[in-house]
Amino acid sequence: MPTAYPLPTNLSPATVANTASLIRIVALALISGAAIASRLFAVINFESIIHEFDPWFNYRATRVLASKGFYEFWNWFDPTAWYPLGRVVGGTLYPGLMATSGVIYNLLHAINLPVDIRNICVLLAPGFSALTAWATYMFTKEMKDASAGLLAAAFIGIVPGYISRSVAGSYDNEAIAIFLLMITFYCWIKALKQGSALFGTVAAVFYFYMVAAWGGYAFITNMIPLHALVLILMGRFSSRLYVAYSSWYAIGTLASMQVPFVGFQPVKTSEHMAALGVFGLLQIVAFAQLVRSHVSSHQFQKLLATGVISIGILGAMAFVLLTYKGWIAPWTGRFYSLWDTGYAKKYIPIIASVSEHQPTAWPSFFMDLQFLVFLFPAGVILCFRELRDEHLFVIIYAVVASYFAGVMVRLMLTLTPVVCVASAVALSTLLDTFVDPTEPEVVDDTRSESGASTISAPGTNGAAPSPTTPATTSKKAKKAAAAAAEHPTTLSDILASSSTKTAKPKGIYGLDTRIMVVLNTICMLAFFVSHCTWVTSSAYSSPSVVLASSNPDGSQHIIDDFREAYYWLRQNTPEDAVVMSWWDYGYQIAGMADRPTLVDNNTWNNTHIATVGKAMSSSEEVAYPILRKHDVSYILVIFGGLIGYSGDDINKFLWMVRIAQGVWPDEVQEPSFFTPQGEYKVDDNASPAMRNSLMYKMSYYRFVDLFGGAQAMDRVRQQQVPKVGPTLDYLDEAFTSENWIVRIYEVKKEDSLGRDLKSANAFAQGKKRKRSKPTTRRRAIL
Amino acid sequence: MAPKSSPPAASNVVHSLWKAYSDQTSDRMKFIDAFLVFLMLSGVAQFLYCVLVTDYPFNAFLAGFSSNVGQFVLTASLRSQVNPENKNEFKEVSPERAFADFALGSIVLHFFVYNFLG
Amino acid sequence: MRYSKSLLALLYLPICLIAAQDPHQQLVELAKAGNGVIKLDSKTFDLLTSPKRTWEFEPSWNAVGEAWATVPKEHRDNHFFATLDFDNGQTTFQKLGLQSAPVVYVYPAAQGPLVPASGKVSPLKYDFSNGFDAGPLAESLSKHTPIPIPYRDPINWARYFTIATGVLGLLVTLRFISPIIQSRWTWALVTVAVSLVMTSGYMFTRIRGSPFIGNDGNWVAAGFQNQFGQEVSVVAGIYGLLTMSFLMLVMVVPYQTSPARQRLQIYLWSGVFVIVYSVLVSLFRVKNRGAS
Repeated sequence: MPTAYPLPTNLSPATVANTASLIRIVALALISGAAIASRLFAVINFESIIHEFDPWFNYRATRVLASKGFYEFWNWFDPTAWYPLGRVVGGTLYPGLMATSGVIYNLLHAINLPVDIRNICVLLAPGFSALTAWATYMFTKEMKDASAGLLAAAFIGIVPGYISRSVAGSYDNEAIAIFLLMITFYCWIKALKQGSALFGTVAAVFYFYMVAAWGGYAFITNMIPLHALVLILMGRFSSRLYVAYSSWYAIGTLASMQVPFVGFQPVKTSEHMAALGVFGLLQIVAFAQLVRSHVSSHQFQKLLATGVISIGILGAMAFVLLTYKGWIAPWTGRFYSLWDTGYAKKYIPIIASVSEHQPTAWPSFFMDLQFLVFLFPAGVILCFRELRDEHLFVIIYAVVASYFAGVMVRLMLTLTPVVCVASAVALSTLLDTFVDPTEPEVVDDTRSESGASTISAPGTNGAAPSPTTPATTSKKAKKAAAAAAEHPTTLSDILASSSTKTAKPKGIYGLDTRIMVVLNTICMLAFFVSHCTWVTSSAYSSPSVVLASSNPDGSQHIIDDFREAYYWLRQNTPEDAVVMSWWDYGYQIAGMADRPTLVDNNTWNNTHIATVGKAMSSSEEVAYPILRKHDVSYILVIFGGLIGYSGDDINKFLWMVRIAQGVWPDEVQEPSFFTPQGEYKVDDNASPAMRNSLMYKMSYYRFVDLFGGAQAMDRVRQQQVPKVGPTLDYLDEAFTSENWIVRIYEVKKEDSLGRDLKSANAFAQGKKRKRSKPTTRRRAIL
Repeated sequence: MAPKSSPPAASNVVHSLWKAYSDQTSDRMKFIDAFLVFLMLSGVAQFLYCVLVTDYPFNAFLAGFSSNVGQFVLTASLRSQVNPENKNEFKEVSPERAFADFALGSIVLHFFVYNFLG
Repeated sequence: MRYSKSLLALLYLPICLIAAQDPHQQLVELAKAGNGVIKLDSKTFDLLTSPKRTWEFEPSWNAVGEAWATVPKEHRDNHFFATLDFDNGQTTFQKLGLQSAPVVYVYPAAQGPLVPASGKVSPLKYDFSNGFDAGPLAESLSKHTPIPIPYRDPINWARYFTIATGVLGLLVTLRFISPIIQSRWTWALVTVAVSLVMTSGYMFTRIRGSPFIGNDGNWVAAGFQNQFGQEVSVVAGIYGLLTMSFLMLVMVVPYQTSPARQRLQIYLWSGVFVIVYSVLVSLFRVKNRGAS
């Protein structure tokens, strides 16, 4: 068989195999290194700090676990959250993440490595991303071969869609959940392929870990049954399917019920019923198969088929009946809103208000996946070409996940793994085709092709050792993977090609086309790497607790208002002072300021949140009794108007109004916060309800004074603030951070003379305008 | 399922099915089948108790019932893995390996059952 | 719409409202006659009928009014639905400072046993953010009525009929096209089409209700987190072209038997790939200024 370029002939097959496996291991190690390294931008640019909002709670819970032990953590009742209700923390969280960190912490301390718990939390996500790369490698290996696996591992290692939720410091459930997702799927595929109860059991154990770690476990709960159902419908039922699915479901479901937060849901809610239904169907089908193997009568077999179908229909009707009767809970709102996309906005505004629950526009897809976004359909088509049982899994996964990712930005995370897998299959098929040295026999007489190829052959030979050089450039491990992927494929194909590829003339003639396509691919990969690096460093590495801006000379300027304010609270207020803020900041206040909060990011009590929304959107007179009733001492608002921080409370204000309106439609009405023209304004045209609201007053209090007579400008809304600023009767300004991002107000106590605070203020101001402050102090002493 | 067939042919078919079963199945298989029947009866009994009497410690019921169902499917898996007729399907699972899988699966299952009994 | 501006008012009168027993009786009768909805005009705000307008919100309003007409008498007569057309009531529109229609006001009872617990008697404005359908309207108005308005969406017979014929037709055609259904390439095509459309932001335009193109005729929406309907088709087309040229290289080219033709195809598809990819990247840079 002619080859496009000469191959070394003196290599024994054992040498080739050993070298290939060595290169695979080295490549995987490099990929892991790159995956971890690219997630450290956040630590290098800022510092080793916990990011965003939810991670602050996870961090706080982990600290409890590490310092007080597991039992204390399990029974932890937190009286400072949701003041005055409190929160049963142990029963209302997914403990997997904290337990993982706790185990690592204790392990390290057992071998006398006194690592701070914070550093474990910060670095947990990057560490697990390396494991994710390995799990994806294993999964893709089952789909095609090791070279595709290496490509997939490299992709998932650096793809922004996954990095966005797993940078260092992003200590959230997703950090470990994606690894668990992939490893569970891998075990499932392995169990299905081998018909092994062992892998089914292992899949169930990882499924348990997943259930303990992330609410998104419902994705697995429905993906695997869907795959099994499609296999049955396609007539691909086999005993292997029975063994794999039954062992996974029976153990996995029982295991998932051990997590207190999940409880009996797996047998009582509709989200989990598909899995149960497929389990029942499999038992029936398997029994029918068994009977059929013993009886050959044709008539009886027909009867059997009708029996199976009618039992299936009966079972489905029983589910409907049970749901109707209320024995099985219907779909929860969060789940239902994925199908009926208008549902959340209408009925659960809290869910709709979260920015990561918004639908995804195409630039986000391209930003997060870059060229993988159009490569993965090609991989799906290639799966259709072979269409083994496991390929069906990738196909279903691709369709379902792309729908979900379109509905919610957050679910991009579940799409990313399958995109990496399918793209890797596609790309490695391309490389296989164009790197494979064998040339097909030319049917007609043009022999000049092979002549040309032998002439330019030494050039390729010189380039052949190049795959070993990327081993030194550790930063570009993805490139190394690409190169490494080519390398073993080429050699292993030499071994394989002699026996297999004779069925149909297939292959590439000549060398120029090969070089061109391979170069093209390498350029694409290089562009991908640079894109990922740019996206990671610029978009996904900000802790959002600490902000960065650049000075005119290009140097970085750190804006640290949040921590400044939280530490002020921590050091200047009594330990039991209740702080009210919008729920976004609840976890941060609890984590950094260590003060009780009214509401936080665990949005379980809509009425409580609506109460805060009502207080914020009402006038001072209406809000004051609410504040007093809830023992609020301090109110914290986020205001970005001075430096142009757009994620501030005035921009979130409409959601507060909407949520409050959902509970008190008579007292809070969204339309009254708009101008008659229907615009959302904070300038002179702002509606009276807007200008009287507590939120507006707290945001713009004394804002005008800052401009010393000049026109005050809100830099977020690009509107001019009224010349006369709002006045406050029931609150005192307690603290405003350097850039005015965080403003804290103290709620005044009732007037000691029994006057209402408004007239008391007017009295004090009328008498002696300048001496209002000492009066307050004297009152405090009394 | 067999009793569903039409009345005149029913007893005949069931009889021939039973005959074919007892002729073609090895004693080992029959032993496993006996265990399966026992598990099924036990599961039915628990289910009836739950429906007719009470489901009060629901976790205890679930634990008991799941241990039955889980053990049933694990045993059924073992049966199909060691069945000589299925040799082509389970190329990588030898009977010894199948038993090891079965044992491990049962241990994991009953670990969770024990934890759930409360 | 601009022709017939309407004010829809929900009057909520307690039974023991002063001595005006007669007008109340009249209202009751008018409500009965108008199927639960009384027409108003500007002078007295009551009792005079106005010509019926066909107008997009009116059917919903009337449907809710009709539903209210079915509740027991003792509740029904405490609560009235009324409409006011702009042509008949310009002064009222001026008085209330209204500049647009439709507007729904709820006038709670000012005296008597039905005064709301909050004590607020000023009229409440209904918020149309849920759309103009009768369902949400009935739901929110029910908060002000003594018993919920028994409104149910009318059964959409036409839709059921369409679905039934569709299913039947599908079953019939299934016999003839079953080879196509069973072909894996049909499914492959469907799968890939779905993935491409979804990754082009189709759900975004559906959920947000983005227009197909912008008001200024520009088809690329400004902003990174925003897009128009046309972008879905363009981007999906670009993705599809890229996928196809890639697949050509993998699935078609290697099976060519003539080297010359194969070479030509490889260069052709690689060229298409590179060019279309460049187009895509430049489009992305339009959306995301400052991209690398």
